[in-house]
Amino acid sequence: MRDKAVYVLGIIAAALLVNDMLHIIGLPDEKMQGAVFKIIFFHVPVAFTALTACGVSMIASALFLITRNFLFDALAVAVTEVGLAFLAANLVTGSIWGRETWGIWWTWDARLTSALICWVLYASYLMLRKSIEEPTQRAIFAAVFSIFCFIDVPIVIFSIKWWRTQHPQPVFWAGGSFPADWAPYFWFNVLAMMLLGAAMTLVRLRDEESQRELESLRRMANAY
Amino acid sequence: MLPFLLAQTVEDIRFEMQRLQRNYEFLSYGLIAAWVILAIYVLMMVARQRRLKGEIERLRTMLGEKRL
Repeated sequence: MRDKAVYVLGIIAAALLVNDMLHIIGLPDEKMQGAVFKIIFFHVPVAFTALTACGVSMIASALFLITRNFLFDALAVAVTEVGLAFLAANLVTGSIWGRETWGIWWTWDARLTSALICWVLYASYLMLRKSIEEPTQRAIFAAVFSIFCFIDVPIVIFSIKWWRTQHPQPVFWAGGSFPADWAPYFWFNVLAMMLLGAAMTLVRLRDEESQRELESLRRMANAY
Repeated sequence: MLPFLLAQTVEDIRFEMQRLQRNYEFLSYGLIAAWVILAIYVLMMVARQRRLKGEIERLRTMLGEKRL
């Protein structure tokens, strides 16, 4: 059942992305930045997916602390790792875009720095999990840390409103100027990335289940 | 558009062509980088799944032998 879901989500995501790519290629270049502006169709959707993953991780962690159901712990770690990959893609595409439009690969402004801190925090979450052997203790510590990490997410989102940044002001909200006829392709790309993220989370969840099965087999082997 | 083009020097046009070329280069670098990162992560997951399955199988065999 889960394998089928992975294939269905993956195929829908791929179809949406291919269809979008064909339309995006045909769009005119942006007046000031030229073709490189089209990177927005990937840079922002991967950020949406990454930050959504952070939110899902926080909710799953809270649910684990309430119910002590290890399925929520497995979901939290799976979605965090996938979110981390998407956030890495966001940081790298942003850096390449910045090099072309600002002339620099990186600057320590509020948006870029908070996004990097977010990546480091969630990477620390995965390292914390590796450092604790006992499963219940590991899940509790990780859940608390995941909820703590989520504090950075609103800072990433609103940093461009709260502070003057090198990063542009919002183009999709707060009076942004994204062209209305480009918006459908953008939102379809967001949907495609979300579906891709969901498919990857299901694959990662299977890894986590196998990991848990392996740990219980190891305990049994040690008991003999 | 035409008066604007006529007002440009050859140098201006050459500079603009180079800028556009560079623009496309950076767009392709960005897209390639994003997909490479996601592809590497998927490959890592698949490799981990294979390793875990192998280890589970090995432990199951070992435990089966011990029971016998």
